[in-house]
Amino acid sequence: MDLSYQEKSILGSLLAMVVVYGYYFAAVLRDAGRPEFDGGSLTRLILAVIAIIVIEIVYHIVLALESKPEPKDERDILIECKAYRNAYFLLATGAFLVIACVIMATLAREAAPTRIIVTPFITVNLVLLFMVLAELMKFLTQLFYYRQGLR
Amino acid sequence: MTKGRIRNNVRRLRFDRSEMTQQELAEKVGVTRQTVIAIEQDKYSPSLEVAFRIARVFGVPLEAVFQYETTGPDGNDAR
Repeated sequence: MDLSYQEKSILGSLLAMVVVYGYYFAAVLRDAGRPEFDGGSLTRLILAVIAIIVIEIVYHIVLALESKPEPKDERDILIECKAYRNAYFLLATGAFLVIACVIMATLAREAAPTRIIVTPFITVNLVLLFMVLAELMKFLTQLFYYRQGLR
Repeated sequence: MTKGRIRNNVRRLRFDRSEMTQQELAEKVGVTRQTVIAIEQDKYSPSLEVAFRIARVFGVPLEAVFQYETTGPDGNDAR
């Protein structure tokens, strides 16, 4: 398959995010019972962000050596705009879902003793999950339009 | 409602100009080679500015490069 520089760049970023945040959220699931987003959780998040940055830098250096970097033209920018639109819809939906989740959990707790508890740990990670999903949506939309074309 | 589609003769015009490569055309127009490929395959309709630049590279009017074809509700060509 003949991939352009932009497609290779996006594919690398997509894989880096899937691997690093896949590992991060697997660890989050194991600790889902934690009440607070404490120092340990923050350290894990910072390590995930640093890992993404390092992988992206190394990958793009290798990519630049292997294939000549091309500046973005109008088609790249148009595809990026469409990708940001889809990512925005996903992020906005996620934000509303997290807000609804917190409100409903509060109401349920006030109405009757319940096991439904939305801790700060879960809230922070839900927000982060939707941010990551929005980014993945952006990459996938870009790859889709690069393959399918814009008409 | 009629449906429109932009067709182009970029590939033929390139070969008429002593087989100009996609890379050469891309550099003259100021886009990437991938965009030239997408235009030739009718997968991308360029902006008016890029369309004019392509026509200028070939030294022909815009209509000689791009054509707007419409198809009526009955499927007939209504160019």
